[in-house]
Amino acid sequence: MEQQRELGSFSLPPSLRAKLVAAGFQTAQEVLDVGPCELSKEIGISKQEALEILQVIKGDSHGNERGSGNTVRKYTALELLEEEQVQGFIVTFCSALDDILGGGVPLMKVTEICGAPGVGKTQLCMQLAVDVQFPECFGGLAGEAVFIDTEGSFMVDRVVDMASACVQHCHLIAEMHPEEGHQAALETFSLENILSHIYYFRCHDYVELLAQVYLLSDFLSEHAKVRLVVIDGVAFPFRHDFEDLSLRTRLLNGLAQQLITIANDHTLAVVLTNQMTTRIGQNCSSLVPALGDSWGHAATIRVILHWENKQRLATLYKSPSQKESTVPYCVTPHGFRDVQLPSPALAENKTNPRKRPRVEEQ
Amino acid sequence: MILRVGLCIGLTTEMVQLLKDNGIRTVLDLVSSDLETIARKCSLSYKALVAIRRVLLAQFSSFPVNGADLYEELKSSTAILSTGSKSLDKLLDAGLYTGEVTELTGAPGSGKTQVCLHIAANISESLKQRVLYIDSTGGFTATRLLQLLQRRTENEEEQVEALQRIQVVRVFDAYKVLDVLHEFRSTVAQEVVSASAPVKMVVVDSVSAVIYPLLGSRQPDGMAFMMHVARELKTLAKELGVAVVVTNHVTRDASCGQVKPALGRSWSFVPSTRVLLENNKESCGETSNRRIASLTKSPRQPVGIQVELDFESWEPAEDAC
Repeated sequence: MEQQRELGSFSLPPSLRAKLVAAGFQTAQEVLDVGPCELSKEIGISKQEALEILQVIKGDSHGNERGSGNTVRKYTALELLEEEQVQGFIVTFCSALDDILGGGVPLMKVTEICGAPGVGKTQLCMQLAVDVQFPECFGGLAGEAVFIDTEGSFMVDRVVDMASACVQHCHLIAEMHPEEGHQAALETFSLENILSHIYYFRCHDYVELLAQVYLLSDFLSEHAKVRLVVIDGVAFPFRHDFEDLSLRTRLLNGLAQQLITIANDHTLAVVLTNQMTTRIGQNCSSLVPALGDSWGHAATIRVILHWENKQRLATLYKSPSQKESTVPYCVTPHGFRDVQLPSPALAENKTNPRKRPRVEEQ
Repeated sequence: MILRVGLCIGLTTEMVQLLKDNGIRTVLDLVSSDLETIARKCSLSYKALVAIRRVLLAQFSSFPVNGADLYEELKSSTAILSTGSKSLDKLLDAGLYTGEVTELTGAPGSGKTQVCLHIAANISESLKQRVLYIDSTGGFTATRLLQLLQRRTENEEEQVEALQRIQVVRVFDAYKVLDVLHEFRSTVAQEVVSASAPVKMVVVDSVSAVIYPLLGSRQPDGMAFMMHVARELKTLAKELGVAVVVTNHVTRDASCGQVKPALGRSWSFVPSTRVLLENNKESCGETSNRRIASLTKSPRQPVGIQVELDFESWEPAEDAC
C-alpha cells in the first residue's frame, strides 16, 4: 500500500518532481522498480540526483531509516503527561501572572505577548531571560537564553538591575532557609554569569530575522542549555515594506512552524512580542494584535498586556490548558512584579527617578 | 502508470520498446491516443493493441457495487462516536461518524483545540477506543487532558488507561504529517489480527498551520500538495473506518468582513461536516468560557443550527436560538 503513494506527496525538489511526472512516473512503486542508473537515463538527470530521489522515497517506505526517525516518534498521552510534569516553567516573578499561566511560561510552547508601546513587553522578556537562569535548587531551570531583538529595545542596564535583584533574592532565600547546595549554587549565580548566558542577536529586517531563526537550530545544538528563545518584536520587521501580502502571510506561517519545531526539538520556551493595531469595524473600532488573523494561530499561548486607568493588566487570551483571565502586574526598578497592596511599595515606585512618569495615552 | 512488461498479458518487451520509441510511455498515453496511427507508426498489430487496451481498461476500472450491499456494509462498519457533550452531539447528529472528515474552524482562542482534547478524552475514556492525535501547532497539553479525564472519572487506573489509549505525534511540517498518515495507514493494513483495539479517531490539529506555508501564487505545488493531504485523509477515513477530525483557521472576507474558513474553496469540499466556533458575542470584552458552535456544512442536518458550549463544565448550557 505504501508503494502506491503518489510522488507528488514526497518532499522532492520541484524540478526533479516535474521531470518524473513528465516521464510518466506516478507512484513510489514505479520509481522503486527501476534502479538509480536506469532512472537517471530515463529522465535525464545525474546518477547522484536519481539516488537522492530513491533515498527520499525509500527512507519513507521502510520505516524511517533516515535520521529523522526520532522526530516522528509516537508518544502516548501518558508519556507526554509525565514529560510535562517534570519540565517546569519559567517563572515571571509576578505570581499572579504565573498562576494564570499555570505556573509560568511553559517549555515546548510558543507564547506571544501583545501590547501597546510602553506597557512592558520588553521588560517581561528581559525578566524572563534572567529568570530562566534561576538555579535548580531554587526551583528554576538553570538554563540560558537567546534574545533576538528586532526593534533595538534591549537595554542591558535594565537587565543588570533585574539580574542583581534576582541574585539578591536568592541570597535572601538562602539566608532564611539555609540548605546544602544553596551556597554552591549561589557561587555561580552571579551577575556576570547571568549576563554572559544571554545570547543577544540584533536583526534589522525580516530577511535577517528569518535567516537567524532558520539557523538557530545549529546554535541551539551547540548551546544545549538554552531554555528560552525571545523574539522581541516579531511584528516590527513585517509591518512595512511588504507589497505582496500573501508572501507575508506565507513567510509568517513558515516562521511560526519553524519556531514550534525549535521549541519542540530543543525543549525550550519561545516567547514573541507583538504590537497592537486598530481594526476598524463597521460601527466600532478595536485594538487587536497586529499581523492579522492567521498569525493569531501561530502562538499556542497569547497574553495581552494593557492599561486600565493607571493599572497595568495582563490578560491570558488564548491557552490550551488554562482559563482566560486578567490579573494586574507592575514594572518596578527590580523588574516585573506583582502589584503590592501595601502602599510603601507604590510610594517607592513614584519617587523612583528611573521610572518614567506615566500619563494616560490616547 | 508506466507501460512495462508484466503489466498485462500480451505486452512484450519488444512492444514496450517500440511504443516508447514513438512517445507512448504510459497507460494513459496508450489509452488516449488513436490506435490506428500507433499501429502504423510502430508497425504493430492493430488487433493486439486493441486487445491490450481492453485488458488495461478493465484492469484500471472499478467494479460496480450494489446499493443494497453498500447499505449492509454501511450498517456493519459505521459507528457514531459520541463527543461527550450533549449539545455538540446534537449539532453533529449524535456524534462523529466514522468514515467521514469533520472540520472545526474558528478564530484564535475560539476553542478548537479544547474541543479536540475533549472529544479525544471522551472517546478514550467512555468509549474505550484508541485515538491518534497529530499535533502540528504544539497545542496538545497532556495536563489539560488529565483535567478533562479527572472530571469524568476519579479512578486513577482508568485515567492512566485512557491516557495510554491516546497516541500523540508532534510534527510541524506538511510532508511529515503526510508521512505519519501514510505510515499509520500501512501499519493498520498490515495488522491482520491486530493485538490492540483499532484506532477509531484521528485528529489533525491543525491542518492549515502546515499547509499555509506552502500556499502562494508562486507555488503551484502547494495546491497540489493540499489535495494530497485531503485525499489521504478521506481515504483513511473510508478505508480504515475512522472518524477524522481536522482543525482549520479562519480568514476574513475582504469585501464584507465576515469570517470564513481558511484554505479556500478547493478545501471546502474535503470535510463533510464543518463546525464554526466563535466566542460568545454577548459577553464581548469579558473573556468567558462560553462558545457558540454553528454548523456550516453537513450531509444530514440543516445548516445553521447553533449550540452553546461551556468549556468550564462541558455540560450543555441552555440552547441558543
